[in-house]
Amino acid sequence: MSVRRVRRGEAAARPAARRVIPGATCAELAATYDAVLIGGGLQGVALAYELAKRGYGRLAVLDAAYPGSGASGRNGEMIRSAFASEEWIGLFDDSLRRWQILSAELDFNVLFTRAGYLLLASTPEALAAAQGNVALQRRHNLHVELLGHDDVRRLCPEMAPAMIAGAVLQTDAGFAHHDATLWAYAQAAARLGVEIHPYTTVTAIGATGGAVRSVTTDRGKISTSVVVDAAGGQARAVAGLAGVDVPVEVFRLEAMVTEPLAPFLRPAVSSPAIMGYCHQTTRGEFVGGTEPDVPVPCESIRSSLDGARDMATKFVRLFPRLAGVRMMRHWSGIVTQTADVAPILGRAPGIDGLYLDCGWVYGFVGAPAAAALMAELIATGRTPPVLAPFGIERFATGELIRETSLVVAAAGESVA
Amino acid sequence: MAKTILCLCRDVTAEDVRRAVAQGYGDLETLKRFTGACTGPCQGKTCVDAVRRLVAELTGRDVEEIAVPPARPPTTPVRLGTLAAKDAS
Ligand SMILES: Cc1cc2nc3c(=O)[nH]c(=O)nc-3n(C[C@H](O)[C@H](O)[C@H](O)COP(=O)(O)OP(=O)(O)OC[C@H]3O[C@@H](n4cnc5c(N)ncnc54)[C@H](O)[C@@H]3O)c2cc1C
Repeated sequence: MSVRRVRRGEAAARPAARRVIPGATCAELAATYDAVLIGGGLQGVALAYELAKRGYGRLAVLDAAYPGSGASGRNGEMIRSAFASEEWIGLFDDSLRRWQILSAELDFNVLFTRAGYLLLASTPEALAAAQGNVALQRRHNLHVELLGHDDVRRLCPEMAPAMIAGAVLQTDAGFAHHDATLWAYAQAAARLGVEIHPYTTVTAIGATGGAVRSVTTDRGKISTSVVVDAAGGQARAVAGLAGVDVPVEVFRLEAMVTEPLAPFLRPAVSSPAIMGYCHQTTRGEFVGGTEPDVPVPCESIRSSLDGARDMATKFVRLFPRLAGVRMMRHWSGIVTQTADVAPILGRAPGIDGLYLDCGWVYGFVGAPAAAALMAELIATGRTPPVLAPFGIERFATGELIRETSLVVAAAGESVA
Repeated sequence: MAKTILCLCRDVTAEDVRRAVAQGYGDLETLKRFTGACTGPCQGKTCVDAVRRLVAELTGRDVEEIAVPPARPPTTPVRLGTLAAKDAS
């Protein structure tokens, strides 16, 4: 994956000695940090920003390649909090509230487009389930509407009528620009003194006496008593460096973008029936991805012809006019998935100072809240109630989170 | 002053690239995302060499030191209907 590719191509160029994004540093590593965040994806960078806001001392974010090179620069950019469980609504609605003001907070336009998020129901059964979810969502004061067939047709006139039974529309959700979001957090973090070191690979985590002591990288060793595993697709390997097992599997997700079109689709749309999600960008491109019904664990980020055909077939089914529209680019990224598809957030068991922020499938929308709440945990030692259900202990106790509105196939079973 | 357009698909000028590099987008991977250069229908076939040369010049490096982002499929834009055709009934 990117880590390997970059190393191969860049070894001779002393890549650490140059700027890759505003906010990243070319400086040498210090000998000591108060906290080290492994992974310069959205999770690591946003968490560093939130820790810095709390005045947490000297912070370093280390990324094996350029910040955003992982899933954070490859995702579908979809933002919602209208899920079907108390746990997901709690975490993701905290995030959605932060998304509303994120550009102002970070002083950088993340292109959050509050065009609404439509979760399509294509069968009467799916619509009935949606109705139940809306009742729960309303109790949590989410801005959701249950739409019938005609409402959806009015909102999305290009959508194939046969695909529409109804939908849940979350009116204050939508999408944002993934790169802009990462750059916004990176620059805001750097202004608060966070050091973001690109092309710095963590190769060992030193833990003795049940506590974190150091991190070893290909650019030298650092001492620190706080380490966060925010290594995305490599999170299991990174936790393994400290002897901690993180129960995740790695899956490849594929996405595509078409040539720009005149505006035809306003809200972000997810369709469990085709296991797909999509939106039209402000530049006019149609962007989206679909997933196979039965995903196979895969660490490659090479795009597949099967993936291209799956997306083309399903998106043409959803929006017949797309048959005549050209796919410009197709790419892949990897996500890590837990048994209940919820992220792992909190302390790592058995090692003081080691924290986990991984196992993300919805890690773009979830980042603003996860960062703020994880920063609270690390700074105060107290677990915010909204974060509590997402601890790694749940895999030992069996108290998995039951969330049924995800547009992702769980390993071995289809969740819609 | 006349504009020098480097990326014809996205209308990215030499000045846009200069400004982006000055801000810190010094890698083709991040520069392409920030300026949009190389992300239009030709996917960089027309402009990537010119952009790469300018980035090398601006950052005082050899052209070979500037890694080119991996090419992504399809090699030329393809209609979704064509890709979907085999499955259509
Ligand atoms: C095609 C696709 C579509 C998606 N759509 C959505 C969506 O619509 N909405 C949504 O919310 N989410 C979506 N996601 C998921 C989302 O992108 C991820 O959950 C999120 O980006 C995870 O962020 P992260 O920071 O944890 O991981 P990443 O962005 O993957 O960052 C991890 C970083 O760790 C670095 N790293 C790894 N190992 C090491 C090491 N040893 N030393 C140093 N650094 C290391 C990597 O280089 C990488 O940059 C999608 C993902 C994909 C692939």
